Amino acid sequence: MTVRLFYDLIALVIFALVIVFGVPALMGFDGFELNTFARYLALGIVSLALALSWGGAGLLNLGQAATFGMGSYAMAMHLKLKASGGTLPDFMGWNNVPELPLIWVPFHSLGVTLLAGLLVPAFVGGLIATFMFRARIAGVFVAIISLAFLVAFQLVVIEQQGITGGQNGLTGLAPLTLFGWSVDTYSVGFYYLVAGCLMLAITLGLYLTHSKFGLILRAIREDADRTRFFGYDVASYQTVIFCISAALAGWSGMLYTLVLQFASPTYMSVSFSLAIVIWCAVGGRDSVIAAAIGAILVNLLEGRLSDVFAEGWSLMLGVIFVLVVMFIPRGLHGLIGDLWHVLSNGSRKEGHPSNKSDMQSKPVETRQEN
Amino acid sequence: MAQLQINDLHVDFGGLRAVDGLSFNVTEGEILCLLGPNGAGKSTTLDLICGKIQPTSGSIRFEGTDISQLLEFRRARLGIGRKFQIPSVYKELTVVENLSVARSRRPGIWHALTRFSLSDGRAVTSILERIGMEAKATDLAGNLSHGETQWLEIAMLIVQDSSLILMDEPTAGMTIQETERTAEIFRTLSSSHTLIVVEHDMSFVRTVADRIVVMNRGAMLAEGTIEEIETNEDVKTAYLGH
Amino acid sequence: MDVILNQLFAGLSMASILLIIALGLAIIYGAMGVINLAHGEFVMLGAYAAWAMQTHAGFSIIVALPFVFVAVGAVGWIIERVIVQRLYHRPLDTILATWGIGIVLQQLVRLSVGAESRFVKGPEMLSGNTQIGGLFMSNYRIFLIAFSLAVLMATWALLTRTEFGMKLRAVIQNRQISECYGIEAKHVYSITFAYGAGLAGIAGALITPLFSTVPTMGTGLVVDAFLVVIVGGLGSLIGTAAASALIGEATALFSLLMNDTLGRIAVLAGIIVLIRFRPRGLFPSNTGR
Repeated sequence: MTVRLFYDLIALVIFALVIVFGVPALMGFDGFELNTFARYLALGIVSLALALSWGGAGLLNLGQAATFGMGSYAMAMHLKLKASGGTLPDFMGWNNVPELPLIWVPFHSLGVTLLAGLLVPAFVGGLIATFMFRARIAGVFVAIISLAFLVAFQLVVIEQQGITGGQNGLTGLAPLTLFGWSVDTYSVGFYYLVAGCLMLAITLGLYLTHSKFGLILRAIREDADRTRFFGYDVASYQTVIFCISAALAGWSGMLYTLVLQFASPTYMSVSFSLAIVIWCAVGGRDSVIAAAIGAILVNLLEGRLSDVFAEGWSLMLGVIFVLVVMFIPRGLHGLIGDLWHVLSNGSRKEGHPSNKSDMQSKPVETRQEN
Repeated sequence: MAQLQINDLHVDFGGLRAVDGLSFNVTEGEILCLLGPNGAGKSTTLDLICGKIQPTSGSIRFEGTDISQLLEFRRARLGIGRKFQIPSVYKELTVVENLSVARSRRPGIWHALTRFSLSDGRAVTSILERIGMEAKATDLAGNLSHGETQWLEIAMLIVQDSSLILMDEPTAGMTIQETERTAEIFRTLSSSHTLIVVEHDMSFVRTVADRIVVMNRGAMLAEGTIEEIETNEDVKTAYLGH
Repeated sequence: MDVILNQLFAGLSMASILLIIALGLAIIYGAMGVINLAHGEFVMLGAYAAWAMQTHAGFSIIVALPFVFVAVGAVGWIIERVIVQRLYHRPLDTILATWGIGIVLQQLVRLSVGAESRFVKGPEMLSGNTQIGGLFMSNYRIFLIAFSLAVLMATWALLTRTEFGMKLRAVIQNRQISECYGIEAKHVYSITFAYGAGLAGIAGALITPLFSTVPTMGTGLVVDAFLVVIVGGLGSLIGTAAASALIGEATALFSLLMNDTLGRIAVLAGIIVLIRFRPRGLFPSNTGR
């Protein structure tokens, strides 16, 4: 049991208590209030997904919104089919689509939908990852390529109006029936569903972080070349974490569709991807719990303050983000960690890495693995 | 059959022939020192063996297998380990974490996913005791002194347990005592490992080398025992220039 | 035949726009390894500056250009000194910080000027078309093509024929040794960043008659500009020019064969594949970046 694992477990327990008991009590167990909070929790999952690949492996996936979107559309398609009750979904009729496109057919089944919401993002993420990492693309180029992919993906979705509802997204969705339980998104039960998913995701994240797999990823993050000389197939490790991260983003998207009761290409945009990065950066990309808290915190603040600062919120967020990147690049988690060490023993023992992990300024390493 | 067979190796860096028709063999279990003036191609040779660089022609055979086109991590899995000239420990990981990464006997993802990060407890603890750094086990490697970093790197190599270990100037910057201890470690290692060592410290070479290969301008100039090399005219000319 | 010629011209026109926009970015990345995601917003600032000068001072775009260059260049200089300079050893964080700056700039413009689309008129003397046979060419676009080449030449001259250019190339090759010779690298970087920003501003001013001037216009442009720089090869002016031509023509061609959106997707896909197989771009420089 390492020190870090110990602290993480304590944090997990405290977080669980707050989410499972504290917040609902604060909201008086009221379904309406809890719905808003459920939204924050769902976004916590995509933020921690980014932390796994970015903080954990040094891979800044700026296209996280694409995999999020895949999950959200998967769920939306299922619910739209349900709402249309056997007839063609309304928007298809408006777009002169003669019959249900093949890609929609499997989504009648809940099981397929749930699997697709996880596996399709993982698969697509895996394709892109293999593409990049076999060519030893690293550092900033991973960011740029994933960004380019996101832009292309959003364009495709908007363009294929007949299949995806285009700019308007998918609306008019039926409520979800989860194995017999009709989910009312304004119920306490729904809140606990989302909270449970978040706790599960965090547990998975912690498991990965503290496994040898997580350790090797951190070694790769610091010096991928050196790690290869120990015999590790770096590209495979990077691909696997990229896929897991994508699947988690898809899961987050599925839950988000339930919360919002629609799916939209807005959540596949460059600015949404940036928002995810901001949450992760503010919370702390080195810790899955911190990243989730970052998402919850920022969205909570936005919810409370955007009434007051309606026009200026985006500006404030931008300024905060720049300040965080400049002065507390490891987020609140890093800040608290540093304060703790300064207060407790003044020397840096086992704990947080410095900012030097961004040293992969070489965009491409010299050998390629074809 | 020799454990490592290098045959007519050439590597070209845009006109500069860093290695030019190099051939030599290495027997299992020996300590071979690679000497030569600056620019002779010694580090490049190590790079070629471990896979950092690809040769433009020639072949490298390790335990019978032609490894000339293999990627570096595959060569590492076959049993080739490398210590670089510039200290390359993971500064952001702790000492035990460094050793855990180095213990790559089973480098596959499945194994890594089903193990706790520090599950190589026994092997790691025993190595820590051998190099006398148990007290620093949970320190970040970036906080170690220069000598301690060198020890850690050597420990990582031992834990990696490669059958062929390539060392690039292992005693650089060490004190006399540290150098002596390194020589001791090398001698214990060689009972079950093969070492190729690039070095400049002649007294160190004298104590550890079983055999010496002297390189000059990318090719082999002479090979033999330390006495044979010391009396070799060509070697003297190469080093002293007349 | 006419269709092809017209499409070729459209491609050339698109290429020239890409070139002007990407050039500043190429210089900044080539010189300092900084991925400036606020570049699109520098373009946007240039566009708004041109609009402001036309609306309040009656300047035509051409007359406004030098002012725009200086104004946006100054903004770039400040940003470099205050923010970017601190992040040179953290390239991924530079991306994020500049992205954040871009958002801040966007919001500042939106809050001060408003989000409605602004209209900027092109210069009178460049209005209208030139017709050669079945080929119709907008005069303004012809001007843009010529101007972008002129800017390219001017930049090349700056880098190779001036003392500043020499200092910059020295610093790119080896910062530490240059500093030993008395070249203040920080100073060079700041001016380079400002120059890149100024170029972006000019680009913005020039494209206003063709694009709608809204605070968000930069976001779409920056990804395109980046891809041009990466495809062209880092640190290479020729590469940027070649890549602009390639991507401009390819986009025009694909748009002809399919529709605009699919065309853009096809080009993006093509670029991603190209990066995979030639990650250092078409004309990689050898200075080790």
